[in-house]
Amino acid sequence: MESDKRFRELIDRSFVEEISERERRLIHDHLRDCDGCRRYFELTARTIRGLREFSFVSGPDSNGQVREILAHHAGTMRQPNVQFNVWAAFAGALLMSFVGSALVYQVTRRLAVPMHFDTAHVEAGVLIFWLLPSFCAALRLLAAPGGNRGMA
Amino acid sequence: MQLLTELVDLFQHRLVRYLLYLTGRREYAEDLAQETWIRILQRGSQYDGRQRFDPWLFAIARNLAIDYLRQKQKAVQPVSSSEDHDAALLVPSSGPSPFEAAARSEDAMRLAGQLQILAPLYREALLLRFQEDMSLAEMAQVLGAPVTTVTSRIYRGLTALRAAFEEDASHGK
Repeated sequence: MESDKRFRELIDRSFVEEISERERRLIHDHLRDCDGCRRYFELTARTIRGLREFSFVSGPDSNGQVREILAHHAGTMRQPNVQFNVWAAFAGALLMSFVGSALVYQVTRRLAVPMHFDTAHVEAGVLIFWLLPSFCAALRLLAAPGGNRGMA
Repeated sequence: MQLLTELVDLFQHRLVRYLLYLTGRREYAEDLAQETWIRILQRGSQYDGRQRFDPWLFAIARNLAIDYLRQKQKAVQPVSSSEDHDAALLVPSSGPSPFEAAARSEDAMRLAGQLQILAPLYREALLLRFQEDMSLAEMAQVLGAPVTTVTSRIYRGLTALRAAFEEDASHGK
């Protein structure tokens, strides 16, 4: 019957969507008199109850596996930043080595005349005692293991 | 990373269950769940904190599942005429049913057979509504479909599943 079809649609809606109090009362009254629609209502309720009676068990230590994979991916995502930082620090240290060495050279050259130093000795001194140590310190940045890297 | 670990603990079980309903295969569901979390790790900044997390999580999982199943289909059937985004989900799954293993009552066991042959589109709609208790609006967000489409899928799914009990009803059980 057409009215039964409409009621069954309303019954479906009552399980899936919000229906008004008036519609709820309509269903209630209709179910008292209509065996077919009452069976339909019970069948729908039973189906939905059955759907809630599934219990899926995750694989053993499924969460642990996911956590491990995520930790690995997080590590690889951070890697490019670490590399960039090391190279940037190295470039900075190298620049400071050369600029610092140039400044020391200029100062000692100016002092060479009043203090009677030989210019060749001044150049050798700057190279051995200033430029080379600071250059080695900059290189050390690249060689140090990840956790122990610091400015030279 | 700490937050993500907590989210895994909270949602992994539900995510696997959703993907199981979507793909009908446990091995696909576990793999896709892992892929989903990696995607979350990469795109976590795109999450709008004012919204619930689970619809966003399921939407990402769903897109991955569709791509994954589409690739599987292409491997089997190289030329596909359908351009529908959801078409990949319309192929009924085969093989042993994970639903029977998960059934915890006689009624659930009877539904398991119907669920296995039900189109995944309807299966996922039923899961989101009656197990995840999502609102229709949240479901629309996950499925990327209008609310009318969502409700229509739920009704069709319910109609198909009722068949599992209709024989009983006709015999007055």
